Amino acid sequence: MAAPVLELRNLHKEILRPQQEPFVIFRDLNLTVREGEFVSIVGPSGCGKTTLLRVINGLVPQTRGEIFIDGRSAREVENELLMGFVFQGASLLPWRTSLKNVLLGLEGHTHNSKDSLELAGKYLELVGLSGFENHYPHELSGGMQQRVNLARALVVNPRILLMDEPFAALDAQTRSFMQLELLRIWAQTKKTVIFVTHMISEAILLSDRVVVFSYRPGTIRSEFNVPLPRPRDMDIKSDPRFVELENVVWKQIEQEVRSTGGFTQI
Amino acid sequence: MNEREKNRSAIMLRTVSVIAGLLVWHLLATVVVKDAGLLISPFAIVSTAYEMLFVTRDLYPHLFASAWIFFYGFALAILIGVPLGFIMALNPAVRDYVNPWVMTLYTTPRIAFAPVLLLWLGVGGGSKVAIVFLGCIFPILINSYYGMRVVNREFVELARSFRLGRWGLFLKILLPASVPFILSGIRLAIGRGLTGVAIAEWFGATEGLGYLIFFAGQTLNIPILFVGVAVFAALGVLGFELVRQIENYATPWRKGLQQG
Repeated sequence: MAAPVLELRNLHKEILRPQQEPFVIFRDLNLTVREGEFVSIVGPSGCGKTTLLRVINGLVPQTRGEIFIDGRSAREVENELLMGFVFQGASLLPWRTSLKNVLLGLEGHTHNSKDSLELAGKYLELVGLSGFENHYPHELSGGMQQRVNLARALVVNPRILLMDEPFAALDAQTRSFMQLELLRIWAQTKKTVIFVTHMISEAILLSDRVVVFSYRPGTIRSEFNVPLPRPRDMDIKSDPRFVELENVVWKQIEQEVRSTGGFTQI
Repeated sequence: MNEREKNRSAIMLRTVSVIAGLLVWHLLATVVVKDAGLLISPFAIVSTAYEMLFVTRDLYPHLFASAWIFFYGFALAILIGVPLGFIMALNPAVRDYVNPWVMTLYTTPRIAFAPVLLLWLGVGGGSKVAIVFLGCIFPILINSYYGMRVVNREFVELARSFRLGRWGLFLKILLPASVPFILSGIRLAIGRGLTGVAIAEWFGATEGLGYLIFFAGQTLNIPILFVGVAVFAALGVLGFELVRQIENYATPWRKGLQQG
Protein backbone atom coordinates (compact mmCIF):
# COMPACT_ATOMS: atom_id res chain seq x y z
CA MET A 1 0.00 0.00 0.00
CA ALA A 2 1.14 3.50 -0.75
CA ALA A 3 2.46 5.69 2.06
CA PRO A 4 0.08 8.03 3.88
CA VAL A 5 0.31 11.59 2.62
CA LEU A 6 -2.20 13.08 5.02
CA GLU A 7 -3.15 11.93 8.47
CA LEU A 8 -5.72 13.55 10.74
CA ARG A 9 -5.60 12.47 14.37
CA ASN A 10 -8.46 13.35 16.73
CA LEU A 11 -8.95 16.60 14.90
CA HIS A 12 -11.39 18.86 16.67
CA LYS A 13 -12.65 22.32 15.82
CA GLU A 14 -14.93 24.51 17.87
CA ILE A 15 -15.82 28.16 17.94
CA LEU A 16 -16.05 29.99 21.26
CA ARG A 17 -19.29 31.82 21.90
CA PRO A 18 -19.87 34.35 24.64
CA GLN A 19 -22.06 33.07 27.53
CA GLN A 20 -22.61 29.74 25.80
CA GLU A 21 -21.07 26.37 25.26
CA PRO A 22 -18.51 26.43 22.44
CA PHE A 23 -19.99 25.57 19.08
CA VAL A 24 -18.47 22.29 17.88
CA ILE A 25 -17.98 22.25 14.12
CA PHE A 26 -16.34 18.83 13.90
CA ARG A 27 -14.85 16.42 16.40
CA ASP A 28 -12.82 13.21 16.71
CA LEU A 29 -11.74 13.19 13.11
CA ASN A 30 -9.35 10.41 12.18
CA LEU A 31 -8.52 10.00 8.54
CA THR A 32 -5.60 8.68 6.55
CA VAL A 33 -5.22 9.53 2.91
CA ARG A 34 -2.64 7.66 0.86
CA GLU A 35 -0.45 8.73 -2.01
CA GLY A 36 -2.42 9.15 -5.22
CA GLU A 37 -5.76 8.50 -3.56
CA PHE A 38 -8.88 10.45 -4.50
CA VAL A 39 -11.03 10.85 -1.39
CA SER A 40 -14.38 12.63 -1.35
CA ILE A 41 -16.08 13.98 1.73
CA VAL A 42 -19.86 14.16 1.47
CA GLY A 43 -22.39 15.32 4.01
CA PRO A 44 -25.30 17.67 4.48
CA SER A 45 -24.79 21.41 4.19
CA GLY A 46 -23.33 22.89 7.34
CA CYS A 47 -21.61 19.72 8.55
CA GLY A 48 -18.16 21.27 8.61
CA LYS A 49 -16.71 19.86 5.39
CA THR A 50 -15.43 23.18 4.13
CA THR A 51 -14.05 24.12 7.53
CA LEU A 52 -12.15 20.83 7.58
CA LEU A 53 -10.44 21.69 4.29
CA ARG A 54 -9.58 25.14 5.61
CA VAL A 55 -8.09 23.64 8.76
CA ILE A 56 -6.05 21.16 6.73
CA ASN A 57 -4.79 24.01 4.56
CA GLY A 58 -3.81 26.07 7.61
CA LEU A 59 -6.25 28.89 6.86
CA VAL A 60 -7.85 28.46 10.29
CA PRO A 61 -6.36 26.68 13.30
CA GLN A 62 -7.82 23.52 14.79
CA THR A 63 -8.86 23.51 18.44
CA ARG A 64 -7.29 20.13 19.21
CA GLY A 65 -5.73 17.24 17.40
CA GLU A 66 -2.91 16.81 14.95
CA ILE A 67 -2.41 16.98 11.21
CA PHE A 68 0.50 15.17 9.59
CA ILE A 69 1.66 15.70 6.05
CA ASP A 70 4.10 13.08 4.82
CA GLY A 71 4.62 12.17 8.44
CA ARG A 72 5.60 15.68 9.48
CA SER A 73 3.46 17.79 11.78
CA ALA A 74 1.52 20.46 9.87
CA ARG A 75 2.80 23.03 12.35
CA GLU A 76 6.37 22.32 11.28
CA VAL A 77 5.61 22.78 7.61
CA GLU A 78 3.04 25.54 7.86
CA ASN A 79 5.06 27.90 5.70
CA GLU A 80 5.76 25.38 2.98
CA LEU A 81 3.57 25.25 -0.06
CA LEU A 82 2.46 21.61 0.05
CA MET A 83 -1.19 21.97 -0.83
CA GLY A 84 -3.11 23.39 -3.73
CA PHE A 85 -6.54 24.76 -2.86
CA VAL A 86 -9.32 24.91 -5.43
CA PHE A 87 -11.83 27.35 -3.99
CA GLN A 88 -15.57 27.09 -4.40
CA GLY A 89 -15.78 30.47 -6.07
CA ALA A 90 -13.14 30.76 -8.76
CA SER A 91 -11.49 33.53 -6.68
CA LEU A 92 -9.41 34.51 -9.66
CA LEU A 93 -7.72 37.88 -9.36
CA PRO A 94 -9.66 40.12 -11.76
CA TRP A 95 -6.58 42.19 -12.60
CA ARG A 96 -4.62 39.19 -13.81
CA THR A 97 -5.00 37.26 -17.04
CA SER A 98 -5.48 33.48 -16.94
CA LEU A 99 -1.77 32.88 -17.31
CA LYS A 100 -0.87 35.40 -14.61
CA ASN A 101 -3.48 33.92 -12.30
CA VAL A 102 -1.91 30.49 -12.72
CA LEU A 103 1.51 32.04 -12.09
CA LEU A 104 0.43 33.41 -8.71
CA GLY A 105 1.29 30.28 -6.77
CA LEU A 106 4.74 30.06 -8.34
CA GLU A 107 5.72 33.68 -7.80
CA GLY A 108 6.48 33.40 -4.12
CA HIS A 109 8.47 30.21 -4.44
CA THR A 110 10.51 30.08 -7.61
CA HIS A 111 12.90 32.61 -9.05
CA ASN A 112 13.14 31.63 -12.65
CA SER A 113 10.27 33.45 -14.28
CA LYS A 114 10.86 31.93 -17.71
CA ASP A 115 10.46 28.39 -16.44
CA SER A 116 7.43 29.52 -14.42
CA LEU A 117 5.75 30.96 -17.49
CA GLU A 118 6.37 27.78 -19.42
CA LEU A 119 5.00 25.67 -16.59
CA ALA A 120 1.91 27.87 -16.19
CA GLY A 121 1.27 27.59 -19.92
CA LYS A 122 1.62 23.83 -19.70
CA TYR A 123 -0.98 23.58 -16.94
CA LEU A 124 -3.40 25.87 -18.77
CA GLU A 125 -3.05 23.45 -21.65
CA LEU A 126 -3.69 20.51 -19.32
CA VAL A 127 -7.00 22.01 -18.20
CA GLY A 128 -7.93 22.69 -21.81
CA LEU A 129 -7.43 26.46 -21.93
CA SER A 130 -4.71 26.86 -24.56
CA GLY A 131 -5.39 30.08 -26.41
CA PHE A 132 -6.98 31.77 -23.39
CA GLU A 133 -3.70 32.74 -21.70
CA ASN A 134 -4.31 36.46 -22.07
CA HIS A 135 -8.00 36.54 -21.22
CA TYR A 136 -9.13 38.25 -18.04
CA PRO A 137 -11.42 36.29 -15.70
CA HIS A 138 -14.49 38.32 -16.65
CA GLU A 139 -13.98 37.21 -20.24
CA LEU A 140 -14.25 33.54 -19.26
CA SER A 141 -17.32 31.40 -18.52
CA GLY A 142 -17.85 29.89 -15.06
CA GLY A 143 -16.52 26.53 -16.18
CA MET A 144 -13.43 28.09 -17.72
CA GLN A 145 -12.80 30.09 -14.56
CA GLN A 146 -12.83 26.87 -12.55
CA ARG A 147 -10.36 25.37 -15.01
CA VAL A 148 -7.99 28.26 -14.32
CA ASN A 149 -8.63 27.75 -10.61
CA LEU A 150 -7.63 24.10 -10.97
CA ALA A 151 -4.53 24.92 -13.04
CA ARG A 152 -3.48 27.47 -10.42
CA ALA A 153 -3.67 24.82 -7.70
CA LEU A 154 -1.89 22.16 -9.77
CA VAL A 155 0.97 24.26 -11.08
CA VAL A 156 2.72 24.37 -7.71
CA ASN A 157 2.96 20.56 -7.85
CA PRO A 158 1.23 20.13 -4.50
CA ARG A 159 1.46 17.00 -2.36
CA ILE A 160 -2.26 17.30 -1.72
CA LEU A 161 -4.95 18.91 -3.83
CA LEU A 162 -7.83 20.28 -1.75
CA MET A 163 -11.04 20.93 -3.65
CA ASP A 164 -13.93 22.72 -1.96
CA GLU A 165 -17.15 22.12 -3.94
CA PRO A 166 -15.39 23.40 -7.04
CA PHE A 167 -18.33 22.75 -9.36
CA ALA A 168 -21.16 23.86 -7.07
CA ALA A 169 -21.73 27.14 -8.88
CA LEU A 170 -21.87 25.62 -12.36
CA ASP A 171 -24.97 24.61 -14.28
CA ALA A 172 -25.74 20.87 -14.40
CA GLN A 173 -24.37 20.31 -17.89
CA THR A 174 -21.12 22.19 -17.36
CA ARG A 175 -20.79 20.39 -14.07
CA SER A 176 -20.92 16.98 -15.76
CA PHE A 177 -18.31 18.06 -18.30
CA MET A 178 -16.05 19.35 -15.56
CA GLN A 179 -16.36 16.06 -13.67
CA LEU A 180 -15.15 14.19 -16.73
CA GLU A 181 -12.37 16.72 -17.20
CA LEU A 182 -11.30 16.24 -13.61
CA LEU A 183 -11.22 12.46 -14.12
CA ARG A 184 -8.94 12.97 -17.12
CA ILE A 185 -6.68 15.51 -15.38
CA TRP A 186 -6.42 13.39 -12.25
CA ALA A 187 -5.46 10.37 -14.34
CA GLN A 188 -2.64 12.45 -15.86
CA THR A 189 -1.33 14.06 -12.68
CA LYS A 190 -1.94 11.26 -10.15
CA LYS A 191 -2.40 13.76 -7.35
CA THR A 192 -3.63 12.96 -3.89
CA VAL A 193 -7.01 14.70 -3.76
CA ILE A 194 -9.47 15.57 -1.04
CA PHE A 195 -12.70 16.61 -2.66
CA VAL A 196 -15.57 18.13 -0.71
CA THR A 197 -19.05 17.98 -2.20
CA HIS A 198 -22.67 17.56 -1.19
CA MET A 199 -23.43 15.73 -4.43
CA ILE A 200 -23.23 11.99 -3.79
CA SER A 201 -23.06 10.91 -7.45
CA GLU A 202 -20.20 13.34 -8.05
CA ALA A 203 -18.30 11.90 -5.11
CA ILE A 204 -18.76 8.29 -6.29
CA LEU A 205 -17.96 9.05 -9.91
CA LEU A 206 -14.65 10.72 -9.04
CA SER A 207 -13.36 8.94 -5.95
CA ASP A 208 -11.52 5.90 -4.75
CA ARG A 209 -13.08 6.38 -1.35
CA VAL A 210 -16.14 8.26 -0.11
CA VAL A 211 -16.21 9.57 3.45
CA VAL A 212 -19.66 10.38 4.84
CA PHE A 213 -19.88 13.14 7.41
CA SER A 214 -22.45 13.26 10.19
CA TYR A 215 -24.40 16.43 10.81
CA ARG A 216 -23.55 18.89 13.58
CA PRO A 217 -21.10 18.30 14.98
CA GLY A 218 -19.44 16.81 11.95
CA THR A 219 -17.53 13.63 12.31
CA ILE A 220 -16.86 10.65 10.09
CA ARG A 221 -19.92 8.45 10.08
CA SER A 222 -18.75 5.89 7.57
CA GLU A 223 -16.33 5.28 4.74
CA PHE A 224 -16.87 3.39 1.48
CA ASN A 225 -14.36 2.18 -1.05
CA VAL A 226 -15.70 2.74 -4.52
CA PRO A 227 -15.54 -0.65 -6.24
CA LEU A 228 -15.59 0.73 -9.76
CA PRO A 229 -12.80 0.35 -12.31
CA ARG A 230 -11.02 3.25 -13.96
CA PRO A 231 -11.02 4.93 -16.39
CA ARG A 232 -14.61 5.94 -15.75
CA ASP A 233 -17.14 7.84 -17.79
CA MET A 234 -20.76 8.89 -17.34
CA ASP A 235 -22.02 5.40 -18.28
CA ILE A 236 -20.73 4.12 -14.98
CA LYS A 237 -23.57 5.92 -13.24
CA SER A 238 -25.92 3.18 -14.42
CA ASP A 239 -23.65 0.41 -13.09
CA PRO A 240 -25.58 -1.47 -10.34
CA ARG A 241 -22.69 -1.02 -7.91
CA PHE A 242 -22.79 2.73 -8.48
CA VAL A 243 -26.54 2.90 -7.96
CA GLU A 244 -26.37 0.77 -4.82
CA LEU A 245 -23.60 2.84 -3.27
CA GLU A 246 -25.44 6.03 -4.08
CA ASN A 247 -28.53 4.70 -2.30
CA VAL A 248 -26.61 3.57 0.78
CA VAL A 249 -24.85 6.92 1.13
CA TRP A 250 -28.06 8.85 0.54
CA LYS A 251 -29.88 6.85 3.26
CA GLN A 252 -27.15 7.67 5.73
CA ILE A 253 -27.21 11.36 4.99
CA GLU A 254 -31.00 11.39 5.17
CA GLN A 255 -30.84 9.72 8.59
CA GLU A 256 -28.28 12.24 9.75
CA VAL A 257 -30.43 15.16 8.81
CA ARG A 258 -33.64 13.68 10.25
CA SER A 259 -32.07 12.67 13.55
CA THR A 260 -30.85 16.21 14.15
CA GLY A 261 -34.00 18.19 13.60
CA GLY A 262 -35.12 17.35 10.11
CA PHE A 263 -34.82 19.03 6.76
CA THR A 264 -36.21 22.30 7.98
CA GLN A 265 -32.85 23.18 9.48
CA ILE A 266 -30.90 22.89 6.28
CA MET B 1 -27.47 49.06 -29.69
CA ASN B 2 -23.93 47.77 -29.66
CA GLU B 3 -21.06 49.28 -27.71
CA ARG B 4 -19.81 51.50 -30.50
CA GLU B 5 -23.26 52.88 -31.30
CA LYS B 6 -23.83 53.60 -27.62
CA ASN B 7 -20.53 55.49 -27.45
CA ARG B 8 -21.35 57.45 -30.56
CA SER B 9 -24.75 58.48 -29.28
CA ALA B 10 -23.26 59.52 -25.93
CA ILE B 11 -20.70 61.72 -27.69
CA MET B 12 -23.45 63.23 -29.84
CA LEU B 13 -25.62 64.07 -26.85
CA ARG B 14 -22.69 65.70 -25.07
CA THR B 15 -21.80 67.79 -28.11
CA VAL B 16 -25.40 68.92 -28.55
CA SER B 17 -25.58 69.80 -24.86
CA VAL B 18 -22.42 71.91 -24.99
CA ILE B 19 -23.40 73.76 -28.15
CA ALA B 20 -26.95 74.41 -26.94
CA GLY B 21 -25.67 75.64 -23.58
CA LEU B 22 -23.24 78.05 -25.19
CA LEU B 23 -25.95 79.36 -27.53
CA VAL B 24 -28.38 79.97 -24.66
CA TRP B 25 -25.60 81.72 -22.78
CA HIS B 26 -24.78 83.84 -25.86
CA LEU B 27 -28.41 84.85 -26.29
CA LEU B 28 -28.76 85.57 -22.59
CA ALA B 29 -25.78 87.93 -22.74
CA THR B 30 -26.54 89.68 -26.02
CA VAL B 31 -30.35 89.77 -26.03
CA VAL B 32 -31.58 89.55 -22.43
CA VAL B 33 -28.93 91.06 -20.14
CA LYS B 34 -27.27 93.35 -22.68
CA ASP B 35 -24.82 94.65 -20.07
CA ALA B 36 -21.18 93.79 -20.68
CA GLY B 37 -20.49 94.83 -17.11
CA LEU B 38 -22.48 91.82 -15.82
CA LEU B 39 -22.38 89.05 -18.38
CA ILE B 40 -20.57 88.61 -21.66
CA SER B 41 -21.03 86.11 -24.45
CA PRO B 42 -18.91 82.95 -24.38
CA PHE B 43 -17.56 83.95 -27.78
CA ALA B 44 -16.26 87.20 -26.31
CA ILE B 45 -14.50 85.12 -23.66
CA VAL B 46 -12.92 82.93 -26.33
CA SER B 47 -11.66 85.99 -28.20
CA THR B 48 -10.22 87.50 -25.03
CA ALA B 49 -8.60 84.17 -24.17
CA TYR B 50 -7.13 83.99 -27.68
CA GLU B 51 -5.65 87.43 -27.26
CA MET B 52 -4.15 86.62 -23.87
CA LEU B 53 -2.71 83.36 -25.16
CA PHE B 54 -1.36 84.34 -28.55
CA VAL B 55 -1.23 88.14 -28.86
CA THR B 56 -0.34 89.75 -25.55
CA ARG B 57 0.68 86.41 -24.03
CA ASP B 58 -0.36 87.78 -20.61
CA LEU B 59 -1.88 84.54 -19.47
CA TYR B 60 1.26 82.42 -19.29
CA PRO B 61 2.88 83.78 -16.13
CA HIS B 62 -0.40 83.27 -14.29
CA LEU B 63 -0.89 79.82 -15.77
CA PHE B 64 2.61 78.68 -14.84
CA ALA B 65 2.48 80.16 -11.36
CA SER B 66 -0.76 78.27 -10.69
CA ALA B 67 0.50 75.10 -12.35
CA TRP B 68 3.52 74.87 -10.08
CA ILE B 69 1.48 75.40 -6.94
CA PHE B 70 -0.98 72.80 -8.09
CA PHE B 71 1.71 70.33 -9.07
CA TYR B 72 3.59 70.52 -5.77
CA GLY B 73 0.47 70.33 -3.61
CA PHE B 74 -1.02 67.52 -5.68
CA ALA B 75 2.19 65.45 -5.84
CA LEU B 76 2.80 65.87 -2.12
CA ALA B 77 -0.78 64.74 -1.43
CA ILE B 78 -0.25 61.56 -3.45
CA LEU B 79 3.16 60.88 -1.87
CA ILE B 80 1.78 61.22 1.65
CA GLY B 81 -1.88 60.29 1.19
CA VAL B 82 -1.45 56.89 -0.44
CA PRO B 83 1.06 55.41 2.05
CA LEU B 84 -0.75 56.94 5.02
CA GLY B 85 -4.05 55.48 3.82
CA PHE B 86 -2.38 52.08 3.48
CA ILE B 87 -0.84 52.24 6.93
CA MET B 88 -4.20 53.23 8.43
CA ALA B 89 -5.87 50.30 6.68
CA LEU B 90 -3.27 47.79 7.80
CA ASN B 91 -2.80 49.00 11.35
CA PRO B 92 -5.92 49.72 13.42
CA ALA B 93 -3.91 51.52 16.11
CA VAL B 94 -2.53 54.02 13.61
CA ARG B 95 -6.02 54.45 12.17
CA ASP B 96 -7.44 55.27 15.59
CA TYR B 97 -4.69 57.78 16.28
CA VAL B 98 -4.96 59.52 12.95
CA ASN B 99 -8.70 59.33 12.34
CA PRO B 100 -9.93 62.21 14.55
CA TRP B 101 -7.44 64.56 12.91
CA VAL B 102 -8.30 63.42 9.43
CA MET B 103 -12.01 63.88 10.09
CA THR B 104 -11.52 67.32 11.61
CA LEU B 105 -9.22 68.60 8.90
CA TYR B 106 -11.39 67.06 6.19
CA THR B 107 -14.60 68.71 7.34
CA THR B 108 -13.13 72.14 8.17
CA PRO B 109 -13.58 74.53 5.22
CA ARG B 110 -10.17 75.02 3.71
CA ILE B 111 -10.75 78.72 3.22
CA ALA B 112 -10.71 79.00 7.00
CA PHE B 113 -7.16 77.66 7.04
CA ALA B 114 -5.86 80.08 4.49
CA PRO B 115 -5.16 83.01 6.82
CA VAL B 116 -3.55 80.73 9.40
CA LEU B 117 -1.32 79.09 6.83
CA LEU B 118 -0.35 82.49 5.48
CA LEU B 119 0.58 83.52 8.99
CA TRP B 120 2.71 80.43 9.49
CA LEU B 121 4.26 79.93 6.09
CA GLY B 122 4.29 83.50 4.76
CA VAL B 123 2.91 84.77 1.49
CA GLY B 124 5.38 82.71 -0.60
CA GLY B 125 4.76 79.43 -2.31
CA GLY B 126 4.71 77.38 0.88
CA SER B 127 1.33 78.49 2.16
CA LYS B 128 -0.25 78.13 -1.28
CA VAL B 129 1.11 74.63 -1.77
CA ALA B 130 -0.16 73.77 1.70
CA ILE B 131 -3.70 74.87 0.82
CA VAL B 132 -3.68 72.81 -2.37
CA PHE B 133 -2.20 69.89 -0.44
CA LEU B 134 -4.97 70.07 2.16
CA GLY B 135 -7.52 69.97 -0.62
CA CYS B 136 -6.01 67.01 -2.43
CA ILE B 137 -4.90 64.73 0.34
CA PHE B 138 -8.25 63.67 1.80
CA PRO B 139 -9.91 62.00 -1.18
CA ILE B 140 -6.60 60.28 -1.92
CA LEU B 141 -6.04 59.17 1.66
CA ILE B 142 -9.60 58.05 2.27
CA ASN B 143 -9.81 56.14 -1.02
CA SER B 144 -6.45 54.45 -0.45
CA TYR B 145 -7.66 53.46 3.00
CA TYR B 146 -10.96 52.03 1.76
CA GLY B 147 -9.37 50.40 -1.27
CA MET B 148 -7.25 48.31 1.02
CA ARG B 149 -10.01 47.69 3.58
CA VAL B 150 -12.59 46.33 1.18
CA VAL B 151 -10.34 43.78 -0.53
CA ASN B 152 -12.27 40.55 -0.98
CA ARG B 153 -11.57 38.24 1.96
CA GLU B 154 -11.28 35.33 -0.44
CA PHE B 155 -8.27 36.98 -2.03
CA VAL B 156 -6.61 37.37 1.35
CA GLU B 157 -7.17 33.66 2.02
CA LEU B 158 -5.82 32.89 -1.40
CA ALA B 159 -2.55 34.57 -0.47
CA ARG B 160 -2.38 32.54 2.72
CA SER B 161 -3.26 29.34 0.90
CA PHE B 162 -0.44 29.89 -1.58
CA ARG B 163 1.92 30.85 1.25
CA LEU B 164 2.74 34.19 -0.32
CA GLY B 165 3.81 35.72 2.99
CA ARG B 166 3.10 39.24 4.25
CA TRP B 167 4.88 41.01 1.43
CA GLY B 168 3.31 38.78 -1.16
CA LEU B 169 -0.11 39.53 0.28
CA PHE B 170 0.60 43.25 0.09
CA LEU B 171 2.26 43.37 -3.31
CA LYS B 172 0.21 40.80 -5.18
CA ILE B 173 -3.23 41.16 -3.61
CA LEU B 174 -3.82 44.31 -1.54
CA LEU B 175 -1.91 46.79 -3.69
CA PRO B 176 -3.34 45.86 -7.10
CA ALA B 177 -6.83 45.57 -5.61
CA SER B 178 -6.50 49.15 -4.31
CA VAL B 179 -5.31 50.74 -7.55
CA PRO B 180 -8.79 51.59 -8.92
CA PHE B 181 -9.74 53.20 -5.61
CA ILE B 182 -6.54 55.22 -5.49
CA LEU B 183 -7.04 56.45 -9.03
CA SER B 184 -10.63 57.54 -8.28
CA GLY B 185 -9.29 59.37 -5.25
CA ILE B 186 -6.73 61.12 -7.41
CA ARG B 187 -9.40 62.04 -9.91
CA LEU B 188 -11.54 63.61 -7.18
CA ALA B 189 -8.48 65.40 -5.83
CA ILE B 190 -8.00 67.34 -9.08
CA GLY B 191 -11.13 69.43 -8.61
CA ARG B 192 -10.37 70.05 -4.95
CA GLY B 193 -6.78 70.96 -5.80
CA LEU B 194 -7.88 73.54 -8.33
CA THR B 195 -10.24 75.05 -5.75
CA GLY B 196 -7.22 75.17 -3.47
CA VAL B 197 -5.23 77.08 -6.09
CA ALA B 198 -8.02 79.65 -6.43
CA ILE B 199 -8.33 80.11 -2.68
CA ALA B 200 -4.56 80.28 -2.17
CA GLU B 201 -4.10 82.98 -4.76
CA TRP B 202 -6.82 85.20 -3.41
CA PHE B 203 -4.68 85.95 -0.40
CA GLY B 204 -1.61 88.03 -0.93
CA ALA B 205 -0.60 86.65 -4.32
CA THR B 206 0.89 88.71 -7.13
CA GLU B 207 0.33 86.23 -9.91
CA GLY B 208 -1.62 83.13 -10.74
CA LEU B 209 -5.07 82.37 -12.11
CA GLY B 210 -6.71 82.94 -8.74
CA TYR B 211 -5.00 86.30 -8.49
CA LEU B 212 -6.11 87.11 -12.04
CA ILE B 213 -9.74 86.45 -11.17
CA PHE B 214 -9.49 88.36 -7.91
CA PHE B 215 -7.82 91.33 -9.60
CA ALA B 216 -10.25 91.36 -12.53
CA GLY B 217 -13.15 91.22 -10.10
CA GLN B 218 -11.81 94.18 -8.13
CA THR B 219 -11.27 96.22 -11.28
CA LEU B 220 -14.52 95.04 -12.92
CA ASN B 221 -12.67 93.66 -15.91
CA ILE B 222 -15.38 91.18 -16.86
CA PRO B 223 -13.69 89.55 -19.91
CA ILE B 224 -10.52 88.70 -17.98
CA LEU B 225 -12.56 87.55 -14.98
CA PHE B 226 -14.40 85.06 -17.20
CA VAL B 227 -11.22 83.94 -18.93
CA GLY B 228 -9.78 83.07 -15.51
CA VAL B 229 -12.88 81.07 -14.61
CA ALA B 230 -12.91 79.36 -18.01
CA VAL B 231 -9.26 78.35 -17.73
CA PHE B 232 -9.93 76.79 -14.33
CA ALA B 233 -12.88 74.90 -15.77
CA ALA B 234 -10.85 73.71 -18.75
CA LEU B 235 -7.98 72.55 -16.52
CA GLY B 236 -10.41 70.68 -14.31
CA VAL B 237 -12.04 68.86 -17.22
CA LEU B 238 -8.65 68.10 -18.80
CA GLY B 239 -7.17 66.75 -15.58
CA PHE B 240 -10.25 64.65 -14.88
CA GLU B 241 -10.15 63.16 -18.39
CA LEU B 242 -6.42 62.55 -18.18
CA VAL B 243 -6.77 60.51 -14.99
CA ARG B 244 -9.67 58.63 -16.51
CA GLN B 245 -7.49 57.67 -19.45
CA ILE B 246 -4.81 56.53 -17.00
CA GLU B 247 -7.45 54.46 -15.20
CA ASN B 248 -8.51 52.79 -18.43
CA TYR B 249 -4.93 52.06 -19.30
CA ALA B 250 -3.79 50.88 -15.89
CA THR B 251 -6.86 48.81 -15.03
CA PRO B 252 -8.21 47.39 -18.29
CA TRP B 253 -9.94 44.62 -16.34
CA ARG B 254 -12.33 47.07 -14.65
CA LYS B 255 -14.23 47.89 -17.83
CA GLY B 256 -15.47 44.34 -18.13
CA LEU B 257 -16.39 44.20 -14.48
CA GLN B 258 -18.58 47.27 -14.75
CA GLN B 259 -20.39 45.93 -17.79
CA GLY B 260 -20.68 42.39 -16.50
